[in-house]
Amino acid sequence: MKEMIYQTVCPGCNIGCGLYIRENEEGALTVDFMKSSSANLGKLCRFGMKLPHHYSKATSMVDGKEADIDAAVKAASDKLKGTRNVTMLAVGATTNEEHLGFTKIADALGTVVNTGIGAYEEIPSECHPSISQGIPLDDIENAGRIALFIDPYVQYPLLVRRLLAAKKNGATIVSLTCCDLNLADENVSINPADYKTELGLDSNSIIITDVNPHSDAEQVKNLLNLALVTGSKIMFMKPFVNSTGVHLLGKSAGQIGLHDIMDGINDGSIKTLVTLNSDLLELMPNTADAAETLEKLDDLVVITSIDGPVNEMATIVIATEPLYAKAGSFMNVEGQVLNNSGESTVGIDAMSTLSQNLGGEAFDFQAMHSKMMESVVRKFTAPKYSELECKVMETAAPAENSGNLISVYNPFMWCNQTDDNDFVIVNMNMVDKLGLQKGGMISLTSDAGSVNMRYTVRDIPDGLILTMKKLPVVTGNTTEVKAEAV
Amino acid sequence: MANVGDMVVGYATDENVRSRGASGGLVTAVLAAALEKGLVENVVVMKHINEFEAVPIITDNVEEVLASTGSLHSVPVNLAKYAVGRKVAMPAKPCDVQAVIEQGKREMIDLDNTYIVGLNCGGSMHPITTKKMLVEMYDIDPEDVIGEEIEKGKLIFKTKNGEEKAIAIDELEEAGFGRRESCRFCTLKIPVNADLACGNWGVIGDMAGNATFCQVMNEKGAKLLENAIEAGRIEVQPASDKAIAIRDKVNSVMEDLGSYLEKEIFPEIPDEERMQYYMDQMENCIDCGACKEVCPVCACGEDSKCTMFHSLVDNYKMSMYHLVRFMHLSDSCIACGQCSDVCPSDIPITLLQSRFSIPSQRRRNYQPGMNLDTPPFFEVMLK
Amino acid sequence: MMTDKEWTPKIVAFCCNWCSYGGADTAGMGRFQQPASTRVIRVMCSGRIDPLHVFNAFLEGADAVLVTGCHIGDCHYVNGNEKTEVRYQFLEEMLQQLGLEPDRLHLNWISASEGERFANFIKDVTAKVKELGPSPLKPAGVK
Ligand SMILES: Cc1cc2nc3c(=O)[nH]c(=O)nc-3n(C[C@H](O)[C@H](O)[C@H](O)COP(=O)(O)OP(=O)(O)OC[C@H]3O[C@@H](n4cnc5c(N)ncnc54)[C@H](O)[C@@H]3O)c2cc1C
Ligand code: SF4
Ligand code: FES
Repeated sequence: MKEMIYQTVCPGCNIGCGLYIRENEEGALTVDFMKSSSANLGKLCRFGMKLPHHYSKATSMVDGKEADIDAAVKAASDKLKGTRNVTMLAVGATTNEEHLGFTKIADALGTVVNTGIGAYEEIPSECHPSISQGIPLDDIENAGRIALFIDPYVQYPLLVRRLLAAKKNGATIVSLTCCDLNLADENVSINPADYKTELGLDSNSIIITDVNPHSDAEQVKNLLNLALVTGSKIMFMKPFVNSTGVHLLGKSAGQIGLHDIMDGINDGSIKTLVTLNSDLLELMPNTADAAETLEKLDDLVVITSIDGPVNEMATIVIATEPLYAKAGSFMNVEGQVLNNSGESTVGIDAMSTLSQNLGGEAFDFQAMHSKMMESVVRKFTAPKYSELECKVMETAAPAENSGNLISVYNPFMWCNQTDDNDFVIVNMNMVDKLGLQKGGMISLTSDAGSVNMRYTVRDIPDGLILTMKKLPVVTGNTTEVKAEAV
Repeated sequence: MANVGDMVVGYATDENVRSRGASGGLVTAVLAAALEKGLVENVVVMKHINEFEAVPIITDNVEEVLASTGSLHSVPVNLAKYAVGRKVAMPAKPCDVQAVIEQGKREMIDLDNTYIVGLNCGGSMHPITTKKMLVEMYDIDPEDVIGEEIEKGKLIFKTKNGEEKAIAIDELEEAGFGRRESCRFCTLKIPVNADLACGNWGVIGDMAGNATFCQVMNEKGAKLLENAIEAGRIEVQPASDKAIAIRDKVNSVMEDLGSYLEKEIFPEIPDEERMQYYMDQMENCIDCGACKEVCPVCACGEDSKCTMFHSLVDNYKMSMYHLVRFMHLSDSCIACGQCSDVCPSDIPITLLQSRFSIPSQRRRNYQPGMNLDTPPFFEVMLK
Repeated sequence: MMTDKEWTPKIVAFCCNWCSYGGADTAGMGRFQQPASTRVIRVMCSGRIDPLHVFNAFLEGADAVLVTGCHIGDCHYVNGNEKTEVRYQFLEEMLQQLGLEPDRLHLNWISASEGERFANFIKDVTAKVKELGPSPLKPAGVK
């Protein structure tokens, strides 16, 4: 009858929604609402409501066989000892403390931890703090004008109520996304070169966009410039629960993005990869391509709390406790430090042993926690917008949308978790043009293959097809596909 | 000897429980005694995390029950869902009781095995609203709050350094704070549907603030009270006529206020505008399903009509999910407000549902969750 | 006869197998003229008609929905239609509160031999709904 109740944070994005996970005697999980959580008032989106499906427990493995965690750590130590040129990846899907522990392993191996967002490399480091930490969520409600470059309904649903509140308080909302947004007062399509003159932003405005491993650096720079020249504030949403924490804690120098990592593996310069709660099969747009690339690695060491698809391919899997049970903290997009109530340190302890075996430091949870508090909390105790400290940058035009099939990144897509989203979105003109039948399917064909999908009709620009689910025909943010009626 | 209909004023014999209790710790003592003496196997209580946060837990540990004293006005949960499938005693606000009884009607719980200690309720508040209110209206740092109380229409907060500050609830509500919307138009303030109905209304004289007025509503209630007296956990004395009169008076004032606010909260919408009104209200629904998950009267389980016949691929003008729910809950909605509380798009879903359920229930002179004599309304009429 | 240009409402009629479906059939076979606006959906008993089916018809673009069955006392499953009646009350109230015009939803008991009654019923409803115009719940793209 003993039920465990964990206070934790939703891993769906970095808004930092507080919630309870209840675990009954049989290990069955349910979500419960933590109404005193200021980021979300206990409210959750579709993804949050389905969290019990997300926390599938990982199993430690060595060379494809189940092992206990000590054996896996030992095997990883043996594998990595003396190996040069180890590449490490942690996108920010676990606690600050585990991330710092992982960094210690990187120190021991003489390398850095990559957080996977390539756009960072190309942007002056003075801008990084402003990209990493956004605006207090409450402040959105008091903005005068808000320019949206993301679809809040699909991508960051807990922003919806903030935007609606802003509207109630008199804000005007301009959407620059490809879909007409219900809550926007103006849905516009403007050439990036004209943002400055056409959008009417000023110091009472907020630009809301996002940065993720597949973001185009030029677009990021463009929007930073827009903020700089108009005096508008800018908020970069991010897809992982601790995206903010890892960027503020990590060394930004010498980092490479996911795409560089994949290129490195393909050209043979990366032979050994160690990941922390970062499943490249889920993170890369095309799973089959990613699998082909990862096959080329000599060694793939996966440290994770989740039973993800990449675990099957790993040389070694070090399975840590589920995210909700961990001792540790996260930092949300506002810069608030949010603590788990869990007390388990299995992951940190395993990383400490690994670090020690590799000739590095031993550490414990407390040490990592103090380190986090020192380096982060001192700077950002009360969330507050930090003014941009960079200068206007030279930019090239953002990459043109080269394809007609657009991936709308959302928590389900990042985790490749199933949802009631196995359909694409088209407009009425496409239905007429292709002669799509009600209840019928649309077939999509790209270089990567072909797939038949159900479809639904919304008001989107002509010629476009949107997907909220990861499709096997997808090769990037946009993909050129041939569409036909089935 | 306790009898049905008795009205007593009482308190916990344990000094510690009495002083920490909301008003004399009687409720806590009754629950603890029920567990101790084997009347039940478990008790549902609120486990405090801080002044603004508590989690309902099910416990078989008397210490845990004793530690759960105090009324948390800013923890708006409905406890019914936590009682399912057990031989249990629980504290319950009137809407909690209604939900428990509705679950009983749907055979999710065995009411014979569920002992309900009702709490009078003048309303609850949302924790985040409360924190904002503390800063803006009380000039108190929420972290410093150690206790709260409602007395004579005023909401009182006590701080670490021993200070107290009281502001009239009317004033707070005028400033946009105060009780949740569903509590404002609620008219069931004394849980006459529970086994015991407990509260501080009618506790007068030197007892005020440290005793509870308790009415025995039925045989189970008599058993609960007697059990606690026998266990030596409480002391009671008959309520005076004056006390009874005062309790009735306050109750009727509160009921009238609820009816008055109902008119204000539900302005008439002309026939030809209603469809657009509902469409506008629901246009930001993101289909998270939280409103169903949290609904304390719903007993359908995961795969139910409202979810199984609803799909994101449909581009209907209204959501099948909501249409099914509006209809399906029209005989059982108790307007507890849980769905509005959890809606990520801040849709006032309780208010929308109430526009369907209140008239439907009134027309049939039926109030859900009052007793087992009237099963779910559909069912009565279908027999 | 109607011209092509004139708008014809789409009416979904739920009919029970034993009575009203027969009524619809008789209406069709007989010489009773009725507008070609009706889609008949046959169910075994009116008691099978769930409010959900009615919502679905409206959401898919019906301009009116008819719930029909045997006369009270004649239901082939003892009291299926009495249950229909109860359910219908809730449904009617609900759709009215929702703001749907009352003329778009009807309940009628029709026996297998009442072809004319069925035809007249359809004619009436069609005329009323024509006045109202297309249903506000009709999805974009549905005619
Ligand atoms: C939200 C709220 C509003 C109230 N308003 C009134 C009122 O207007 N007039 C009146 O006469 N009495 C009201 N009461 C009841 C009153 O505050 C006392 O609870 C009652 O007099 C019993 O006192 P006690 O010392 O015996 O309770 P205690 O021994 O302190 O026991 C309190 C019990 O209530 C439970 N509890 C605490 N918070 C909640 C909650 N939010 N929901 C459900 N259970 C909870 C605890 O777990 C505990 O079991 C209210 C209670 C609550 C919770
Ligand atoms: S809680 Fe709100 S967003 Fe979620 S399904 Fe209900 S109404 Fe829609
Ligand atoms: S069989 Fe016709 S209504 Fe039941």
